[in-house]
Amino acid sequence: MMTTTTGSARLDFYKRAPGIYQPLLNAHIAAKKGLGDDVLAELVLIRASQINHCAFCLDMHVKDAQKAGISEERIHLLNAWEEATGHYSAKEQAALALTEAVTVLTDGFVPDAVYERAAAHFDERELAHLISLITTINMWNRINVAVRQPIGGGA
Amino acid sequence: MTTNPTPNPQHGHHQPRIAIARNAPEVYKAMVALDAAAKKGLDPALVHLVKIRASQVNHCAFCLDMHIKEARKEGETEERVYLLNAWEEAGAHYSAKEQAALALTEAVTVLTDGFVPDAVYERAAAHFDEPELAQLIALITTINAWNRFGVTTRMTPGQA
Repeated sequence: MMTTTTGSARLDFYKRAPGIYQPLLNAHIAAKKGLGDDVLAELVLIRASQINHCAFCLDMHVKDAQKAGISEERIHLLNAWEEATGHYSAKEQAALALTEAVTVLTDGFVPDAVYERAAAHFDERELAHLISLITTINMWNRINVAVRQPIGGGA
Repeated sequence: MTTNPTPNPQHGHHQPRIAIARNAPEVYKAMVALDAAAKKGLDPALVHLVKIRASQVNHCAFCLDMHIKEARKEGETEERVYLLNAWEEAGAHYSAKEQAALALTEAVTVLTDGFVPDAVYERAAAHFDEPELAQLIALITTINAWNRFGVTTRMTPGQA
């Protein structure tokens, strides 16, 4: 019989830094609302969480994506979306490319080609909220990885 | 003879690609509140070091310019600012606590290479009590967010 270890977080983060959760949640909700596309939002949230290796976030957003009606196939292929372009719209692909560029700043900048590709599919308001959503999931990823938030343990 | 070239208007003073504050005002407002909450309870000198180091790792020119100027204005030495990029080779210039915070800053900023190692986490936990450590993680996370806005929208150094 397999034993699963649930473990506990390194730190009860939101309790120890009580002023953080609400503004972070506010930023995230405003970003998602302003983007106005829950399916696209979940694809972005999963892809960023894959790149940042956040198990807690992956678990949460894969489940949310399933609830939002995204197919298992589209979720599984997300890690290799550039090789599976038949499964994602041009707009989704532009958003995923931007997600990767904004998430991996350490390799250098957000290229004009990536930015312009997104700007061709999103108006300024949508684009500002897409950039915001990529940024807020990067924050959740950082907190949950840093404190080693157990999967399914609630934020 | 001048050693400082005149900024090339074509390169040095580009316009930002997009204004987040104008196009996503609710997000921006929440970010400002988050930023204020994140630095609470932390030594201001440490806050500057963390913000500068994250901005170096994420290559955010606007953020580097802003936070180096703020640090210098509040009395940080030029030497400690320019050695920050190689702080592990300049250990004598930073306290053990600052070094622990800088190591954590790098680990939390570069998640793409994989996780936040126990050794890095424990080193920070040895110098910061739990509330302080939570604030430090919040600070690192928040400057990472500003770095993303700054780089993605290509904000111009010196033009807040």
